[in-house]
Amino acid sequence: MVLAEFERRRRANARFSVRSFALVLGLDSASLSQVLRGRRKLSARAAASLAAKLGFAARQRDVAVNESLRRSHERRVLRQVARTAFVPSSRALARRLRLRADDVNAALARLLRDGRLAMISTTRWVVTEKEKE
Amino acid sequence: MAHPVVHWQALVRDPQRAASFYEAAFGWKIDDANALGYRTVEAAGRGIGGGLWPLPDGQPMVQLFVEVPDVDAALAAASANGAGVIIPKQVLPDGDEMAVIADPEGVAWGIMRART
Repeated sequence: MVLAEFERRRRANARFSVRSFALVLGLDSASLSQVLRGRRKLSARAAASLAAKLGFAARQRDVAVNESLRRSHERRVLRQVARTAFVPSSRALARRLRLRADDVNAALARLLRDGRLAMISTTRWVVTEKEKE
Repeated sequence: MAHPVVHWQALVRDPQRAASFYEAAFGWKIDDANALGYRTVEAAGRGIGGGLWPLPDGQPMVQLFVEVPDVDAALAAASANGAGVIIPKQVLPDGDEMAVIADPEGVAWGIMRART
């Protein structure tokens, strides 16, 4: 579990060190190094504690990935809105962007709340100056 | 003239999942056959209709919508009396107009004018 997570992080970031991982897990790097090399076995309690920490980290990662995906949806929606041939419809946007209408609407909900998009008539949506700043 | 509450809107993380729950638990009829794919909940009996919309952030909540004859005038009156505007007037693809304010107590209210 610990080794797999370390390798996953190392693949994502070649500079991710045993020392960095030790900081994440709250261990000293010498002990962690022994665990990773299989020279030291973790007690059940220690393993459960690390799993909890890794689970928490994984949830943080999921949140970060979801946030990045949502921002990508917002950018893609705004790019479509700026097109001259744009038709104001979540369904049409969803088809064009190959997203679910709910994903398009989640992007619209945030764009409207943040004042980055305005629906100024039944046939016209615009990207606001705030977005262009 | 008193403006009536005519619509409610649940802001939820997953509108599809929420719709399935409301259909199963409350027997509500929910339809999304419109340009926005907005899930409208049919008014049943003495009740008022509502809708489901994705939550931009924060905790899921229910918002009530007050119907007015003129959204711009209603926003001006609300602002003059201490409300903040969360979402300025928007014209939806079906012609309805809507806006969202935060009243001086911090309660978020939708303001709407149905297409004529």
